[in-house]
Amino acid sequence: MRAHNGFYGEYGGQFVTETLVPALDRLEEEFLNFLRSDEDRERLDGYMRDYAGRPTPVYFAENISKKYGFDLYLKREDLLHTGAHKINNTIGQALLARFMGKGRVIAETGAGQHGVATATAAALFGLRCTVYMGRTDAERQLPNVRRMKLLGAQVSVVEIGQMTLKDAVSAAYRDWVASVQDTHYIIGSAIGPHPFPEIVAHFQSVIGDESRVFFSRRGGLPDAVIACVGGGSNSIGMFRGFLDDRGVELVGVEAGGRSPLPGDNAASIGCGIRGIFQGCLSYVIQNGTFQIEDVHSVSAGLDYAGTGPEHAHLHDTGRVRYTSVDDAAALTAFHELTRLEGIIPALESSHAVGYALRQAESLAGKTVLVNLSGRGDKDMDIIDAMTGGES
Amino acid sequence: MKGIYILGGYPDRGRFVQSMRAVAEAGADFIEVGIPFNDPVADGPVIAGAAMETANSGITVEEILEDMESCRRSGVRLFAMTYCNIIYRYGIARFSERCRGLLEGVILADLPNRMHSFFYERGLDLPIIPFVTLESRGDDIVSASYSPGSFVYFIGLRGITGATADFESTEMTEQVVRVRQHTGKRVVIGFGIKNGDDARRALALADGFVVGTEAVRRQGDLPALREYLEGLLQTVPAGDH
Ligand SMILES: Cc1ncc(COP(=O)(O)O)c(C=O)c1O
Repeated sequence: MRAHNGFYGEYGGQFVTETLVPALDRLEEEFLNFLRSDEDRERLDGYMRDYAGRPTPVYFAENISKKYGFDLYLKREDLLHTGAHKINNTIGQALLARFMGKGRVIAETGAGQHGVATATAAALFGLRCTVYMGRTDAERQLPNVRRMKLLGAQVSVVEIGQMTLKDAVSAAYRDWVASVQDTHYIIGSAIGPHPFPEIVAHFQSVIGDESRVFFSRRGGLPDAVIACVGGGSNSIGMFRGFLDDRGVELVGVEAGGRSPLPGDNAASIGCGIRGIFQGCLSYVIQNGTFQIEDVHSVSAGLDYAGTGPEHAHLHDTGRVRYTSVDDAAALTAFHELTRLEGIIPALESSHAVGYALRQAESLAGKTVLVNLSGRGDKDMDIIDAMTGGES
Repeated sequence: MKGIYILGGYPDRGRFVQSMRAVAEAGADFIEVGIPFNDPVADGPVIAGAAMETANSGITVEEILEDMESCRRSGVRLFAMTYCNIIYRYGIARFSERCRGLLEGVILADLPNRMHSFFYERGLDLPIIPFVTLESRGDDIVSASYSPGSFVYFIGLRGITGATADFESTEMTEQVVRVRQHTGKRVVIGFGIKNGDDARRALALADGFVVGTEAVRRQGDLPALREYLEGLLQTVPAGDH
């Protein structure tokens, strides 16, 4: 574990209602048992290999590389079952839920990818499942709502606040305090109270581990590793593979939205300050009266006012550099990757690609690894709306 | 110990102050003033809706504290109930300084007992009221007894404010007995108390109760609030103080 007493430096903690404390302790205990059990870990590895499709390839994007003047490699999490990295975490946590004897799982979802991955794990393991999703997101990511329902999950549409990810997380907590006896809350990102950030980071660290093995075998680590940061699960999973490799520059890309003005973006580290939000102390976008600020991103999965506590710590230590890419640049990157490589990326992942394209000059001649956290099938309606159907 | 929760600044500052006065006049022993936060995860639709609306209206913590001060003369004991971010952002030591003599303690809905040290270590010099819940294990109950808080806040249901406590459940009664045995502190039942009947049963079982949702619901309509409080507080026996 990288967390000490539930904290990463000064960030993290367990800021939740007392009712949930025994469940968090039980979860931590089960997670530690899991880490100690070769049999349990092999079981998860088996599902990852035969069911989810791991290891995912690292692909050299030759056409983009030629056009932009640096060597771009993509970690293809988009090729996983259900279409994003989220399944790495949901299978792991669903196993923990089974070990704890819980018959029901709940989840929040923004882009719907975590919701689909949770509904999938629930179907696989015979668990009842409810997914909370804000109305705004349910409308902009409709294909994923349909998938969750087909998979047998109950989709509960949340109609408070901005009706996005923050509100879905709150609704899931409200469910959990009432249902904690038989329900496990599968948090979808490296956020929330300890031990969730640690558990999610652990299950996602397979991304960075595989990537590092790929480059080691090839004879040299990349110069830069880039991932998009919402709550921070795909990015922490990727970064953990390279944290000790001081020569590898790590870059986390937040959602720059429409502008740096309050309400226009979701760059928690770039535009937020320290605060206690949805279970942990981290960077949070908030206003002068200590309230959580509205946020915006074209991508539902990055449209969140907080970020994981380990990222806050990695920002303060300087090990990872956090920056942002706005809606327009993410969209440009989406089209570039689609046309030049024949890969339709998720709008979330497009932010990470967008950073690399924007930095082409400073990256010239370098080897760059971007985590392609998911595929963009879910984003067709947004793309149509943004381009007037002319894409 | 009969307590009423009132949401600060709701529906506006004037009616908030009048609501506090009405509660003091109706004979409550203490008032918990909610300082609104716009992610009220422990609250059900009535309090959460009111809190989000008020939080987003631009009202400041300072304004709510000033309004609470105007009620000091009534002699009613005051607690603040809020979420961690409000006090963290105000400045923990600064909040403590500002509220000395005004507040008897703070109740933080998203701060479990084991995290109290986070606030004390950063300069909070006001007691944080500890929670015991239906999920609390033996050790959790014992650890609540080390708190400097003047009572234990007992959450007698699994859920959020606005749900209904089940006084028929032996789980709840047995847990209250355990808390009294192991902490030596007075036990106040919060969450799920709606009417005089619930209040009577709470006082028969424990040392006090807090009513929240049903009071907040009436903060915009003072005559209705007064009538409700009268029915609630005057039909139940005076608690020992
Ligand atoms: C494809 C994809 N990438 C990234 C994210 C952002 O989440 P995180 O920062 O936890 O990886 C999401 C969230 O929905 C997603 O679906």
